[in-house]
Amino acid sequence: MTALMDFLTVFTQPQLLLLVGLGTLAGVYVGAIPGLSVTMAVSILISFTFSWDVYPAIALMIGIYMGGVYGGSRTAILLNIPGAPSAIATALDGYPMAKRGEAGTAIGVTTVMSFIGGFIGIGVLALAAPLVSDFALRFQPRDYMLLAILGILLVGSLSQGSLLKGIFAGALGIAIGAVGRDPLTFAERFTFDFQLLEGGISFIAVMIGMFGVSEALLQLHHVDKDAVRQKIKRIVPSLATVKKHLPLSLQTSSIGVVIGALPGTGGDIAALMAYDHAKRVTKNPEREFGDGAMEGLVAPETANNSAVGGAFIPMMTLGIPGDAVTAIMIGALFIHGLNPGPMLMIDQPDMFWFIVGCLVMANFFMLFFGLTGIRLFTKIVEMPRSVLIPLIMLLSIVGAYAVNNSITDVYWMLGFGIFGYFMRHYGYPLGPVILGVILSRLLDDNWRRAIITEREDLGRFFESIVTSPLSLILFLGVILIFVSQTPLWTWAKARVFGRKENAK
Amino acid sequence: MERIDPEHHDGTSDATPGGEPDKRRPGEMVFAAVMVLASAYLVWNAWGIENPFGPNGLSSPRSIPLATTSVMVISALLVLVNTARLPLDQTETILRDILPVTVMLFAAFLVLYGVLLKPLGFLPTSALFLVIAIKLLARRGWVWTLSVSLFSLLLIWLIFRIVFTVLMPSGIVPEAEVIQFFRGLMSGGAS
Repeated sequence: MTALMDFLTVFTQPQLLLLVGLGTLAGVYVGAIPGLSVTMAVSILISFTFSWDVYPAIALMIGIYMGGVYGGSRTAILLNIPGAPSAIATALDGYPMAKRGEAGTAIGVTTVMSFIGGFIGIGVLALAAPLVSDFALRFQPRDYMLLAILGILLVGSLSQGSLLKGIFAGALGIAIGAVGRDPLTFAERFTFDFQLLEGGISFIAVMIGMFGVSEALLQLHHVDKDAVRQKIKRIVPSLATVKKHLPLSLQTSSIGVVIGALPGTGGDIAALMAYDHAKRVTKNPEREFGDGAMEGLVAPETANNSAVGGAFIPMMTLGIPGDAVTAIMIGALFIHGLNPGPMLMIDQPDMFWFIVGCLVMANFFMLFFGLTGIRLFTKIVEMPRSVLIPLIMLLSIVGAYAVNNSITDVYWMLGFGIFGYFMRHYGYPLGPVILGVILSRLLDDNWRRAIITEREDLGRFFESIVTSPLSLILFLGVILIFVSQTPLWTWAKARVFGRKENAK
Repeated sequence: MERIDPEHHDGTSDATPGGEPDKRRPGEMVFAAVMVLASAYLVWNAWGIENPFGPNGLSSPRSIPLATTSVMVISALLVLVNTARLPLDQTETILRDILPVTVMLFAAFLVLYGVLLKPLGFLPTSALFLVIAIKLLARRGWVWTLSVSLFSLLLIWLIFRIVFTVLMPSGIVPEAEVIQFFRGLMSGGAS
C-alpha cells in the first residue's frame, strides 16, 4: 500500500508533475537536435540540480532520459541524421519512408511503438527489481566485483567497435576513479605529488568533458550541413497498423529490456540488436529492409525505449549502471546522499517507487508530445549548429564549474574533452570510461573485501568462485566475452554451425 | 551481427564507435603509441603506491591500480600492433579530417575562457566567447551575431542564475547588486 502511495507521489504533486513534463519535452528536443545527446544533457544537468531536493532533480532527469531516447528518432526519420545514438537504426528505414512522403506515418508509428516499448520496460522494472534486489542481498563482494568487470566488458563486446579499445577505455576509467587518497588506507594514488589531485578527479568533470565538449568539438566538422524540410500530414497511426506490428514489438521490447538490464549496455546497442532480430524474423516485409520497412522502425524504437526501464534494474538493485545515462544517474543519487544498491530498496523503497512513477508519467508525456507540436518542432530543429555548438561549450563550462565552484574542474573537463575527441576519432568507446570511473570505487572496495575474507589467498579466492553458482556464472560470462573475441571462437562457431549453413 | 553503418556515424554512440574498422586513420598510430607510453608510466606510478598500514599485499591500495594499469598497457600494446597492420587511409589528412584549424581554434578559445573566467567574470567572458564563436561559425552580419549571442547569453544566465541558482564568478560585473535592484523594484511594485 505504501508502495502505491510512493508510486503516486509524482501524480499528486503538481510541481513534480510539471518537472517530469518539462523534462520530457526538453528531452524530445534535446534528443532530436543532432549534436545534443541525452547523456550530454543529463551530465550537464546533474551539476545544475545538485542543490535541489532529490525528488525534483530525479523527476527532471528521468523526463529528459525518456524523452531523449525517443526524440532521436525524429531527426533520424526527417533528416537521416540520428539525433541520439539510440536512433541510429531508426534512420535506416525511417528516412526512406520520409523520402516517399510518409514521414507522418513514420513518426506516428515510432511514437506509439516507443510508448509500448517504454511501458514494457517499466513493467519489467517494477516486477523484476524487487526480486533482483532480494536476490542481490546474497551477493558476495566477489560477485559485485565480477559484475562490475562484466559490465565494463559488455559495452565493448556488444557494440561494433573493437573489444580491445573498449577494455582499454574501461581500465582507463577505473584508473581515473582511483586518483586521489585511497578511502581505506589514505594512501596517495596517482597524485604525482600534486596536492590538487589528492581529492581525486571530479567524475562530473570527466563526464561533461567526454560527452559535452568532445562531442561539440566533433560537431565542428559538420557546421555547414543544412537541415532539410519535410512536409508532414497524418501522424496518429491506425489501430490496424499498431495491431499488425504488436507481436514483433513484444519480441523486440524483450530484447530491449534484457540488453538494457545488462550492466553497461543501453538503448543504442539494444536498438541495433532489435533491428537485426526484426530482419531475421520478418518473412515477407511489405518493403525490403533499408527501403522503408515499417518493421525496421518498430524494432529499434520499441527496443530503445524498453531499454530505459531495463537499465534502471541493475542501477536500483545492484548499484551498477545499465548504461551511460544511468551511470550519471547513479552519480546524481550519490550526490544527493543516496546509495544505490540492494539496501536502497530496503531502506528507501519510496525512492524506487517514485522513480517508477516518474517513468510512467514520462512515458505518457512522451506520447503526448510525440503526437503534437510538429510545426514548432521543425522550427527548433532547424536551429543552426553555428549557434548550437558555442552554446553547448558554454553550458559545459558552466556545468563543470558549478558543482564545486572550482576552476580546476573546468580544466579537467576541457582536458578530458579534448582527449575524448581523439578517442572518438580513433574508435575508442567512451561509455566504458564513464562506467569505469563510476564503478572504480565499488570494484576496489569489493575486491579488497573479497580477498581479505579469503586471507589474501588467490587459490582460495578462485575456489570460492568455482563453488558458488552465481560467482561461477558471472566468471564464465567474463571468460566468454574474451573467448568470443579470439580466433578460437570463430573456429568453434564454424565447426558447430557450419553444417547447418551448408545444409540450407 | 551484421555491420550497420549509416552515413552519419561518427563516434557519437558506443554501439557504433568512430574510427574505421579496416583502415588506419592519420595520427592513429601516434595516438596508440602515446597510449602505450602513458599506460606504462602509470604502471610504474602504481607500483610506487605504498600501503601505510602494512605489507603491499593483494588487499593493499596498490593492487587495483596496478591491475588496471597493466590491463591498459597490454590492451594498448595490442591495439598498437593491430593498428600498425592496417593500411593507412590515403583519402584523409590530419588537417582536414582529424584536427582541422577550427577545432584547434575552439580548443584554444575554451582554454582562454577558463583563464579569463575568474578575473573577468562570467558575463563578460561568455559574451566575448559567444560573439566570437558565433561570428566565426555562422559568418553572418554583426547585428545578427550580436543579437543572437547576447540574447542566448541572457537566457542562459536567467535560467541558471535564477532557476538553478548557480553562482558563477561575477568578476567585474556587480551581478548581485543588479539582482538586488530588480528584486527591490519588484517588491516595491507589489506593495
